[in-house]
Amino acid sequence: MYPVFRRPMRPAEARFFVALNAGWKPAKIEKTMKKKTMDQRIIAKYTDQPDRMPAEVRDAIEGAWGGRPVQLYALTDLDAGMRFTEAWLALGESDVALAREDRGRWDVHSVPRQRLSAISESPGLSGSTLTLLGAPDEPALAVLRYTHRQRRAVENVRFVLEQELEGRIVPPANGDKEYARSVAAPIREAQALVARNQAAVLLRLIGYLGRYRKQVAMGFAAATLITVLSLVPPYLAGYLIDSVVKPVQDGTLPMSRGVFVAWIAVSAMALVYLIRQASALVRLRHMAILGEWVARDLRTELYEHLQRLSLGFYSRKKTGSLITRVSSDTDRLWDFLAFGIVDVSLSAVMLLGLGSVLLSLDLKLGLVMVLPVPLFIWAIFNHGEHLNRFFIRAWRKWSRVTDVLSDTIPGMRVVKAFNQEERESGRFNERNVDVTDEYNRIHHSWTTFWPALMLAVHGTTVGVWAFAVPRLLGTGPEGVTLTAGTFVSFLLYTTMFIGPMEIIGQMARTVQRATTSAHRVFEILDTEPEIVDVQEPVKLTPVEGRIRFEEVSFGYDGVKQVLRGVSFDVEPGEMIGLVGPSGGGKTTVTNLIARFYDVTSGRILVDGVDLRELDTGHYRRQIGMVLQEPYLFYGSVLENIRYGHPEAGLERVLEAAKAANAHDFIVKLPQGYDTIVGERGQNLSGGERQRVSIARAILHDPRVLILDEATSAVDTDTERKIQEAMDRLVAGRTVFAIAHRLSTLHKASRLFVMKDGRLVEAGTHGELLARPGGIYARLHSLQMELQVGGESSINGKTERG
Amino acid sequence: MVRLSRGFEERNGLLLERRGDGQLWARTNGAEHAVRVHRCFPWSEPDQFLSLRDAENQEIAMVTHLGELTKESRAALSEALVEAGFVLKVLRISEVDEEVEIRTWKVETEQGPRSFQTKLDDWPWEVPGGGIVIRDVSGDLYHVASPEDLDEKSRKWLWAFVD
Repeated sequence: MYPVFRRPMRPAEARFFVALNAGWKPAKIEKTMKKKTMDQRIIAKYTDQPDRMPAEVRDAIEGAWGGRPVQLYALTDLDAGMRFTEAWLALGESDVALAREDRGRWDVHSVPRQRLSAISESPGLSGSTLTLLGAPDEPALAVLRYTHRQRRAVENVRFVLEQELEGRIVPPANGDKEYARSVAAPIREAQALVARNQAAVLLRLIGYLGRYRKQVAMGFAAATLITVLSLVPPYLAGYLIDSVVKPVQDGTLPMSRGVFVAWIAVSAMALVYLIRQASALVRLRHMAILGEWVARDLRTELYEHLQRLSLGFYSRKKTGSLITRVSSDTDRLWDFLAFGIVDVSLSAVMLLGLGSVLLSLDLKLGLVMVLPVPLFIWAIFNHGEHLNRFFIRAWRKWSRVTDVLSDTIPGMRVVKAFNQEERESGRFNERNVDVTDEYNRIHHSWTTFWPALMLAVHGTTVGVWAFAVPRLLGTGPEGVTLTAGTFVSFLLYTTMFIGPMEIIGQMARTVQRATTSAHRVFEILDTEPEIVDVQEPVKLTPVEGRIRFEEVSFGYDGVKQVLRGVSFDVEPGEMIGLVGPSGGGKTTVTNLIARFYDVTSGRILVDGVDLRELDTGHYRRQIGMVLQEPYLFYGSVLENIRYGHPEAGLERVLEAAKAANAHDFIVKLPQGYDTIVGERGQNLSGGERQRVSIARAILHDPRVLILDEATSAVDTDTERKIQEAMDRLVAGRTVFAIAHRLSTLHKASRLFVMKDGRLVEAGTHGELLARPGGIYARLHSLQMELQVGGESSINGKTERG
Repeated sequence: MVRLSRGFEERNGLLLERRGDGQLWARTNGAEHAVRVHRCFPWSEPDQFLSLRDAENQEIAMVTHLGELTKESRAALSEALVEAGFVLKVLRISEVDEEVEIRTWKVETEQGPRSFQTKLDDWPWEVPGGGIVIRDVSGDLYHVASPEDLDEKSRKWLWAFVD
């Protein structure tokens, strides 16, 4: 590489060169110099592309720009022939450039941003083409091709350019960070805790045992005792034969003495078994209970942490996956902590113990028995790895079976309506047969392996016999060199190899399963809440409800902004109707008021205080929300109304329910206020749930209230009741109502029209209607036209607004 | 519905060219549009039913068969089709490794070497035109045209994922 332009050395590099001259190890210095972010580490580990724009490319581009810095960049990884290449798209303050490698140097093609007239993107199956267009009839300024992996990074650049074409300036971002984040995001979303080493995770998990040192010590001591004691009975058997039975039979030991010693040996054996089983009791009980404790601690810690995490986290993770982590993952960890760790470590001790006992009893026979053991362990391990491929296949086929089930059972009406029962049965049968074949393949494999392995183990025993017989009978040149007792002990010891061998052979899998679960649990614990209170937060008692947005901009991720420079003032007690097309930013405004997210730039003032200075918990207690999909929890109607105020008196509950027009229907329920509403309130109708949630908000008595389309999909009578309830609820509070219907807005003091993240119109209903060509006026007339055919929506429904 | 039949009617009057600005332009009914092409059946019938769409993603015309176009138009469209239908063609699989929640594939493609990740429960699927397609976490598609013709090592890696 021959950089066109050499910028002055940065301080870190200067240190590096000094260090080099001082004779330090460059590798170490380089490590400290380039401390990589998590995203950069992900790119380095999982992809084949650089984790940032290489310095020589940056130098070449900035050189071409007269030293002005690269603000944002992306890799465009396909050439015109759709083969992989390394070309960099870079955005500067006033230029956009494409750097391609050409015979060892970076060839920079740069155009001023002003020359751009349009940008066109053609998305393909696995790649996209972005064309930067200049003046009409002028050749394209640049044509870029890239795979989907680069898409987010390219879109960042494109977003800034498109905004500029529309006359908006996007503030410069951290180019390295945005690039790394864009490329790493899909991998991070699939697996957030990437590239953590297994040993570290395991150590951290074991750290959880620290709190219960006493139990751990007891458990391990008992387990060690069991291991040691199980070595005793075979030894005693050998001793009995060689030192008692044989001498008595030979007449070298008097019978009475023989009987005495034999009984001592028998009693010792009984004692050993007794102590062993007592230890087993101690070990099993202690470790099982201990494992439960650790699992409980993890669950509590997890759940508490989940409660602290910001909503941003929940929008990135699937609910199911979070539930699994609190439930099944902690359960799996219990299994590992209670039994796995002890089993694995003691099996290793057992194998070593057995090996040394056998070798010390008789070196030659010991070697015959011990030498094949590593081979057996390897075979067991290998078999597990081999089976893994079978399991993946079976898992894949099994998911095809469950796909049919989850497709057709909820869709049974469609199946029947199209008379496809037979075809669906056929489809299921085919897959069912398929998965059975796969499982049978697995059974075939292990049922072959284990008998074969046992045959090999028995082969070793036969080998021991074959070696031992001549020495027992004394047919060899050295005469009798092995006593019957030693041989019997030996045979008894050999049977003890199998169990530990199996455990050690499967150790890799056991540990891997546990670390996987631990990974998933720690991932949550390691996520920092995005909303954190300042050191000394302000408590507004009470919140008056004066809300002021000052040039607020916000983006959920990357450089894309959902809100752009929004400013407004709302007086206490005002009701603001938020209207405008989907994706305009309505819900985002309410999310920011509730401080579910912090603004990217600008600020929000509540009663003159920056929202970020407030005590979040205290502030949120004075905010109420009635959402489009009212969320009720499992429990009675009473508990649901009292959710925010569990201590509220029954009279206040009745009052709130009456104000919410809910009292009547609640009393008609068979068990009145004590009726259980079922999961998510499924035992109530939509309108009833809505009114319970209004009662909940009335009881909560918030100073600031957020309403999100409270009257959807209900009949006219119910809607009227809800509307009445709403009117009572909003009185005397600052209200932000996201309205999809005009009827919800009749009480609004002012309307804010949101479009493309901007506040485009604000004023009373009358003022906005009078505005010629206004967005609200258009939406209103559209609705009036449609109202001939009944109620309709003036906004699309949206999650984020 | 209306738009579709209009597309069919104008088929014969449709002219396509790749212009200096790098875009594909369609002239139909006297109007000109910069268009991009979407295959209606990218796997089952890649060369039939090609939807030409403008910048607003509205259908301008539908090409049922490449054969119905003039020679020049056909050449221009074929070129655009290469880009629109681009997927990574897997030639060899050198490793498939599992980690917590993701599976990493190291492959050799027609475009060059590549590592990519899939979720553990995301499986390759068979496509009508033959072979299997693997979709990675970024949405890139990797086509193994005929798994049975891969070298032995690749086939071994792929074994668990194909029938």
